[in-house]
Amino acid sequence: MTYSAKLIDHYENPRNVGALDKGDPTVGTGLVGAPACGDVMKLQIKVGRDGVIEDAKFKTFGCGSAIASSSLATEWIKGKSIDEAETIKNTDIAQQLSLPPVKIHCSVLAEDAIKAAIRDYREKNGQAAAPAAEAAAR
Amino acid sequence: MTEAAGGDSGAPHACWSCHGPITAAALFCHVCGAVQPPRPLDAFARLGFPGRFEVDAAEIDKRYRGLQQRLHPDRFTKRSPRERAIAESQAMSLNDAYETLKDPLKRAALLLERAGRSSPIGENRTIQDPALLMEAMEVREALAAATDLAAVEAIGKRAAAEDRRCIEALGAAFGAGELDKASRQLTALKYWRKLAEEIRGRRAAIAHGAG
Repeated sequence: MTYSAKLIDHYENPRNVGALDKGDPTVGTGLVGAPACGDVMKLQIKVGRDGVIEDAKFKTFGCGSAIASSSLATEWIKGKSIDEAETIKNTDIAQQLSLPPVKIHCSVLAEDAIKAAIRDYREKNGQAAAPAAEAAAR
Repeated sequence: MTEAAGGDSGAPHACWSCHGPITAAALFCHVCGAVQPPRPLDAFARLGFPGRFEVDAAEIDKRYRGLQQRLHPDRFTKRSPRERAIAESQAMSLNDAYETLKDPLKRAALLLERAGRSSPIGENRTIQDPALLMEAMEVREALAAATDLAAVEAIGKRAAAEDRRCIEALGAAFGAGELDKASRQLTALKYWRKLAEEIRGRRAAIAHGAG
């Protein structure tokens, strides 16, 4: 199996690795897992007053594709409004990294992590979750 | 045909050689003696055990060895290539069934499947169970931070204890028919097994001085 240069770059030089303060009300934390491979992914966003994501951090224990997917996800959502970030689809991530079919679930995990972080932020700030947030594939 | 009972072990199949009726789990035709190909049976039905989480490991070993003996290649040296191939595929199916029944993780997944549930540890499934994932994240972080064998062994001991605890909890949950609980314990067990795998890698890295 050959991996794309973009995927290898994100795996070898992951962007935005780290953590934000979970207790901060402007921080939303998403924690998701893929039991089939035992992966666990934490993605956090720091949201400004204008609803724009100022910072994003992640920590992923999993395969290279899972790490690359979450790295790309944090890169993409920084500077976007939470409403925009919420529209990112796993297929966008999979396409950008040219994920092989057996690794598509890694991009699903990243999409779920973004949505979970946004949901956590909204719950903390008393906003109702957008209906689309519950549409995650089973 | 219902799959709930693990396949159609009672329904007759036709022997490929003499076309006589035989049961799904039969290794040989009782009329002409021809070896039979594996029929679609799950692990419990193939080895003739009831679909329960609690199993008698020694009895599984005994039954498995008895069946494999009858399919040993030495017994088929004078048979046709077709019969040798059938015996071989039957032996492989028995291997799969044996491995499933012997492994609590696979056994639990099969029991949930039998109950009409999709496996919680199946491909493409993502979960958002905060308590379970937070614990998984914490121990993986501790393992990544462990620089000497003693620290790795301490995490290994915990993983082994949690593994045993999950298996006990699976037994209790299946015994009580609490499938949601069983499903969650199976997911937890999968994560502890993954940790054990990572521990082996970490141990090897430290042993080779990669710290």
